[in-house]
Amino acid sequence: MISAFNGLRDINTATILFRMVLAIICGGLIGIERSIKNRPAGFRTHVLIIIGATTASLIGHYIYLIMNLPTDMSRLPAQVITGLGFIGAGTIIVTGSRTVKGLTTAAGLWATGIVGLAIGSGFYEGAIVSTFMILFAEIVLGKIKIKRVKPFRCIINYQHKETLDHILRYCKDRNIAIKALQIEGETDESGVKVYSAFVTLQPNNEVDHDGFVRKLESFDNVINAVIR
Amino acid sequence: MGSAFAFLHEFNLVSILVRLLLAMACGGVIGYGRSRKKQNAGLRTYMLTAIGACMSVLLTLYEYEMMTGQWAPIVAEVGMKFDASRYSAQVISGIGFLAAGTILSSGHQQVTGLTTAAGLFTSVCMGMAAGAGMYDCVIFVLIILFIVLDVMYPMESAFKRKLRNMTIYVEFSSIEYLDEITDTIRAEKATVYDIDVERTKREGSKYPAAVIVLQMGRENASHSGMLSTIAELPYVHTIHELIA
Repeated sequence: MISAFNGLRDINTATILFRMVLAIICGGLIGIERSIKNRPAGFRTHVLIIIGATTASLIGHYIYLIMNLPTDMSRLPAQVITGLGFIGAGTIIVTGSRTVKGLTTAAGLWATGIVGLAIGSGFYEGAIVSTFMILFAEIVLGKIKIKRVKPFRCIINYQHKETLDHILRYCKDRNIAIKALQIEGETDESGVKVYSAFVTLQPNNEVDHDGFVRKLESFDNVINAVIR
Repeated sequence: MGSAFAFLHEFNLVSILVRLLLAMACGGVIGYGRSRKKQNAGLRTYMLTAIGACMSVLLTLYEYEMMTGQWAPIVAEVGMKFDASRYSAQVISGIGFLAAGTILSSGHQQVTGLTTAAGLFTSVCMGMAAGAGMYDCVIFVLIILFIVLDVMYPMESAFKRKLRNMTIYVEFSSIEYLDEITDTIRAEKATVYDIDVERTKREGSKYPAAVIVLQMGRENASHSGMLSTIAELPYVHTIHELIA
């Protein structure tokens, strides 16, 4: 433990000010990084959460250390952790299904809150180290893309159900795995049923998307194919 | 070597750094396995929760250090009121809520949300173990997780596709046609095990829908063939397979 900080671990006006400033800096760094990437929770949200957590932690410690009331000084700050879980759940539900953005935002806010708890209790070493780790996790890992061939979605419009078997056999020959398949069918004015297949494909090696589309469209009864 | 480990079991700046890094690594292992489905977001989420969980235990250790050190006079006066497991206990509740949000926002009857939630729970528990300095336990579990998530999981989904059992989600014009759909399935030599008619309207779909669990007649029967056959029926609007 860095002994230089020991003077700052008591609670008085100067240290309260120091903790608030440190909280704004740490929360601000994390928040600015999220703002730059245009994520839902940006600078303001992170700073608000970290200040709230720091204050809650300060209150808990103040009641025991200064007011000398018999209580567990970790009770108040610990409940912040649960409370942020609630907020996170709401964020995830509102951000919608099938995106991971809500979950990452919620986890980031949760971790930021805990950093605030550390600052509020005077655990500056832990707070600074974990702020750097959070920033590392967000920035550096955002740049590294894990090397793998990305799956892609293809929408194929065709007639006659056997066409789909032909398409899928072709995919299998080219070593492309089918991750999800959804078929919609509409009967058009002339009474012919036209199908739309929404396929999520995971190729084993790189696949030239344009070439793939051209090959699909060359099959009989395939009306068109589009890759999203 | 022994003294190095003893050093890491104490509470000092180096051991704080090591424990947080270890927690981050745990989150990374879990996230790496999950990120095959969705980009790096999976990786970051588990790292963040692991770091937070580790910090909660470190906070507990810090407060205990302070109560036996700098704040000892106050402790002598007021009395030692300290529950070492309080922070960690609330972490579990908090992560439970986060996980509930994940599950609620995943698609109908799909297990993806549940798997993400389980991963969150694991990363938090490992973060707390790392924070407490249980190095041997954490490293051991890291190896197990790596084997299970990166080696066994890809084998499992390849295997599932060959199975006779299949769960499909169908939307059709009117509830009367449900019998015809199940008759068509039986005509393809498959057995219908369960039918779950969705009564609540999902956003975006105006048609009645059902989730049908069926077992096909032969091994290696074509899943897409069954989907195509049902899609061919005039009143079926959309159909896809639900893969757990």
